[in-house]
Amino acid sequence: MNSIELRQIGVRFGGVQALDDVTVAVEKAEVVLLAGPNGAGKSTLIHTLLGLVRPQKGELFVDGQPHPVNNSFKDQVAYLPEAVAFAPSLTGRQVLRFFARARGVSSRRIEEVLEQVGLRNAGDRAVRGYSRGMRQRLGLAVTLLPEASVVVLDEPTGGLDQEGLQVLWEVLEKWRDQGRMVLMSSHDLTLLERRVDRICLLCEGRVMADDSPAGLRTRANLPARVTFGLSETNGASLRELLKEHYGDDVYEGEGSKLHVDIAVDGLLELLDLRGRHPESVESIRVEEPGLDLIYERLLETAKEAS
Amino acid sequence: MKGRIGLALSWHEFVERTRDRWVLVISVLFALLAVGTSLYGRGAEADVQMLTGPSLVTLATLFVPLTGAVLGHDAIVGERERNTLGLLLSLPASRLEILAAKFVGRLLALALAVGLGLGLAALVAGGDEAPILMQLFVPTLILGAVFLSLGLFISTFSRRQTTAASLVVALWFLLVFFYDLGLLGLLIFTDGAVSTETIARLVFSNPAGLYRLEMMELFAGPELVDDLGVAVELPGTFVRAAMWTAWTAIPLAMSALIMTCRRTQK
Repeated sequence: MNSIELRQIGVRFGGVQALDDVTVAVEKAEVVLLAGPNGAGKSTLIHTLLGLVRPQKGELFVDGQPHPVNNSFKDQVAYLPEAVAFAPSLTGRQVLRFFARARGVSSRRIEEVLEQVGLRNAGDRAVRGYSRGMRQRLGLAVTLLPEASVVVLDEPTGGLDQEGLQVLWEVLEKWRDQGRMVLMSSHDLTLLERRVDRICLLCEGRVMADDSPAGLRTRANLPARVTFGLSETNGASLRELLKEHYGDDVYEGEGSKLHVDIAVDGLLELLDLRGRHPESVESIRVEEPGLDLIYERLLETAKEAS
Repeated sequence: MKGRIGLALSWHEFVERTRDRWVLVISVLFALLAVGTSLYGRGAEADVQMLTGPSLVTLATLFVPLTGAVLGHDAIVGERERNTLGLLLSLPASRLEILAAKFVGRLLALALAVGLGLGLAALVAGGDEAPILMQLFVPTLILGAVFLSLGLFISTFSRRQTTAASLVVALWFLLVFFYDLGLLGLLIFTDGAVSTETIARLVFSNPAGLYRLEMMELFAGPELVDDLGVAVELPGTFVRAAMWTAWTAIPLAMSALIMTCRRTQK
């Protein structure tokens, strides 16, 4: 399996159009993030791929050919639901033993995945004693068990601490290296922007944007923020010059800091001004806009357009 | 592939249910009371068919439906609340297979609970009386299977586990306690205007009532008088088998229908 595509999916729940003509594709060795506000249709799209929701319109394409969401397809898919909790009376190892049996995976693999998610020592403890993060890691271990071509993760960062996130990053990297197709949904755009190849922004059941993180930055056309640490003694002249040049885009910061919001293509000109006053600047820092800001901008644009 | 998931899930359900504290409490209580009944019968040196057997039937009529219903009540809604239903349904197996595997696994747990109670009672009774008491095992398991099936049905359409738990307890009260009281009230208030056949049919249409009468017949012979003091004749073996099958199969089929037809399962 080299690619999957949910093409022109339409799902209606009563009077609510949950998904409207949504097309999302994932290629081999690609990690695609579904992002969007609550009710955007992220989980519905994931459930459609898993056969949990039957769409009124559209279908699944595998390697460019229409394909039903049948057992042979589901055999190739591993899934981590949002905030998964498992049976509280069972131990982590027992939970994994069930999924290993159901998937026809050897019991040796259970130890490997427990090690991989850092739960080896907690494997014989009942799930009721697990923290939310540990349950999420156990869920991740369940998705690691089979050698599935497609991995679907619904809000995988929920409840994970720094150590848990590190495990997730390593697993994502491994899946990419192994050529798996990963489709996940998350609200944590800032956390995930460096870990994904493509982001599909959904809003009110429609695809608003589908691009790489860099592509989304270009599309949103948000300014970068340059922060100057001005010299107490010689900074006044540059302060005046910047205010004269950039007007409302200049903001006073804490102490002697001065912020300038500027389009990326204007950065060179700004740095040239600074170069003319080397004695005025003690430090300089350039920040790209965060993906959450880009996301907000794109959302606003989409809402204005609709 | 299909058999593998069904077997794995049945075993998983069995292991999980045997660790459920409510199932454990009811099962242990049933076993203790069954042993107590058997000990009392042995001490009284009464005929097992006159004292221990009928007493165990009364005990089983109370406990086994409750165990079955409790075993079934969280089968689907529990998975939904833990966000694992989608995970189960994303496995390469049909919804029908998942449901059937859950039923089988829980039936095994029920068989363990029933077998433990009746087995210990038979062991205590000892000698020639043990095989007579063990004749109760299959019919009692079938009674439990009916309530398990009803519990599973309730679990399929309930939105919350607490709702499902309330409904199965209400169902148990209704069929095990209030049903016979209702019939008694009917007899009193109508002053015998309702025919014996109608009352008998009403008794038979409750699985707990039919079980009690069948087991009384097993111990007391074909000449029996039911709890209501009305002379009744049990339906034929074929009709009874059909009734037990229908009571188990219909709620299961309805659960399967809900699971299969519902457009959204998460």
